[in-house]
Amino acid sequence: MGRKKKKASKPWCWYCNREFDDEKILIQHQKAKHFKCHICHKKLYTGPGLSIHCMQVHKEAIDKVPNSLPNRSNIEIEIYGMEGIPPEDVKEHEKQKSGGGKGSDSEDDEPAAKKKATTALLGPGPSTVSPGILPTPMGPAPPGMYHGHMPMNPMMPPFMQAHRMMMPGMRPLFPAVSMPPTSTSKPTFPAYSNATISAPPTTSTTSSSDPKENGEVKPPAANSCPLVTATGAGSKIIHPPEDVSVEEIRARNIKYRPKPKPDAPVPQPQPAPAMITPSTSQAEVWVAAHMNAAVAAARQQQAAAALRRGVLGGVVGVLPASMPRVPVSMPQMAPVMPMLPVMPQFNLVRQLQPGMLLPGGMGGMGGMGGMGGMGSMGGMMPMGAMFPGGVMMQPRYR
Amino acid sequence: MTVTRVAESRTEFKLKSLPENAISSVKFAPKSNQFLLVSSWDRSVRLYDVTSNTERHKYNHEMPVLDVCFRDAVHTYSGGLDQTLKMYDLNAGVETDLGEHKNAIRCVEFATEVNAILTGSWDGTVKMWDSRVPNCVGTYNQGNERVYTMSIVGEKFVVGTSGRKIFVWDVRNMGHVNQRRESSLKYQTRCIRVFPNKQGYVLSSIEGRVAVEYLDSNPEVQKKKYAFKCHRIKEAGLEKIYPVNAISFHSVYNTFATGGSDGYVNIWDGFNKKRLCQFHRYNTAVSSLSFSHDGSALAIACSQLDESQIEDPKPEDTIYIRYVTDQETKPK
Repeated sequence: MGRKKKKASKPWCWYCNREFDDEKILIQHQKAKHFKCHICHKKLYTGPGLSIHCMQVHKEAIDKVPNSLPNRSNIEIEIYGMEGIPPEDVKEHEKQKSGGGKGSDSEDDEPAAKKKATTALLGPGPSTVSPGILPTPMGPAPPGMYHGHMPMNPMMPPFMQAHRMMMPGMRPLFPAVSMPPTSTSKPTFPAYSNATISAPPTTSTTSSSDPKENGEVKPPAANSCPLVTATGAGSKIIHPPEDVSVEEIRARNIKYRPKPKPDAPVPQPQPAPAMITPSTSQAEVWVAAHMNAAVAAARQQQAAAALRRGVLGGVVGVLPASMPRVPVSMPQMAPVMPMLPVMPQFNLVRQLQPGMLLPGGMGGMGGMGGMGGMGSMGGMMPMGAMFPGGVMMQPRYR
Repeated sequence: MTVTRVAESRTEFKLKSLPENAISSVKFAPKSNQFLLVSSWDRSVRLYDVTSNTERHKYNHEMPVLDVCFRDAVHTYSGGLDQTLKMYDLNAGVETDLGEHKNAIRCVEFATEVNAILTGSWDGTVKMWDSRVPNCVGTYNQGNERVYTMSIVGEKFVVGTSGRKIFVWDVRNMGHVNQRRESSLKYQTRCIRVFPNKQGYVLSSIEGRVAVEYLDSNPEVQKKKYAFKCHRIKEAGLEKIYPVNAISFHSVYNTFATGGSDGYVNIWDGFNKKRLCQFHRYNTAVSSLSFSHDGSALAIACSQLDESQIEDPKPEDTIYIRYVTDQETKPK
């Protein structure tokens, strides 16, 4: 990095050519003058850091470093204090300042060491600036999936965590897919065992913990079913329940049936008279037949699932009533749900993490609403069908 | 959907004289960032001059149009629920029916390599057409599954269907299907786009997830495939997972944009597994995306196709043109 030579002169700011006595002050200067977000005034650590911040947080592109000299406004160059200054600029600066400079070796060495120390210390600085774009396990973390999950991690069976850890290594890439089967097995929560005062976690507890964790992962088993099944209590796919494309569903709408005069040259905005002309009936029959089949199949599955759920149905029915009201109402529930040692655990955990309390509670409510809205078809069926444990987990969200 | 209104700026504006119903597809003309072709459920196909923000051409189908494509600057092709493939000569203003499918035409693509048009239909087939005269060159069964999405780059032709099937063809030799795959995603396939460098394709599903896959079946290469979650919004403890409706590649940088029913557009660097940026939230679901040939402009069609999700008042069907910067699209 050609760093050896440059501390001959005082630290200076590449962006505005100002000199400082101490690199620490220089860094403060850069953060305040050049790396401060003009929107929220957050001080970032580098130009690229600022640019990424603006892009991600404010969705604004920044093309210049604020308060910089015209030829030094490049936001792409990562400069931190004296780190990262293009070598030719260092030389040029030294030339300008020459006359002085060229200190003895001993002078040289000391600051060098110091500098290294600083860099080492501050090393993480620039990178922490842009956590958003660092490769997260599954690639960038888009807003939807984020850290709501993180606090839950402790509750994941340890091997699932291992899974996550592995992911940066990035191989099988389908952790989502590979997880669910494993998640039915029974790790306990060593991490939380001390936090959990009561009831040693049981198998059922674990299973009840994952659905929320990676709810969307759940349904693979339900996959063959012609329904787009909800993905566990914590999440909902915003798509019609039938597993056909929205275009097909939309095309069934009466207003998209052909009109009597097919060659009308003018665009006919919607409510077109619905007449089934012979020419189109074929298509319609086809579509209709197909859809009916899908729906019928769906119903069958649903019915089957309902059967399978049979006994437990009662349980499921009871819980919603008691749960949302009294989140910690363990004792009441116990008789209803044999598995329920879990519940206190969860409640406890929640309380321990105040941040989660609210969302958790709301989740319960929201989940209920969602379920109700989806009717019996979407939400519960698939779980019952594919994952007997699924029934156990549900109460938690209600 | 609550959306913060974003003021129009020089980097982004809304097209005028928009279709009167949902927009099914937008495509920039080859070698141009001036002309944009738009198909709509209002049965029209329109050509816009983006530079002057005017509508230049318009013709109609009898039924809603689901997809369009260009052959060159002056010839366009379109198909939809009326099952008919139309060719339109923009200079002459003449439309020609090239032929029919047995069900709605969902996708229309131009295969430069063989100078032919490819149509994918809900009748479970792909047909290849002579691009000049009404002549169907061949019909290719796609496992009797309805075609939902297709993409072609050079000779690599990938078809995504219902039942999560994926068929990989070589357009130079349509005698047999090269690869039959099952989607690595667990939910209905929504969109597939082949990488401009032809190494693989990006696939999205209705369950807020995108997969990056490679065509080379060598296990070493296959190891690189991955998938990630996106287009999800967590509200009050309930995670809403939205379909990823649209993908468009930046032809220069091999990065791609995804558009979801959540109204967001994200730009990703698929090789480095990074998100490059996310735009503001649009007024409704993003139904189609198209980068211009040089990647300087991105057309963003916003339409709620899922009628069960349409709110009151119904969100407007709009098309935004956004001039993107390198910072937003270039791998870092």
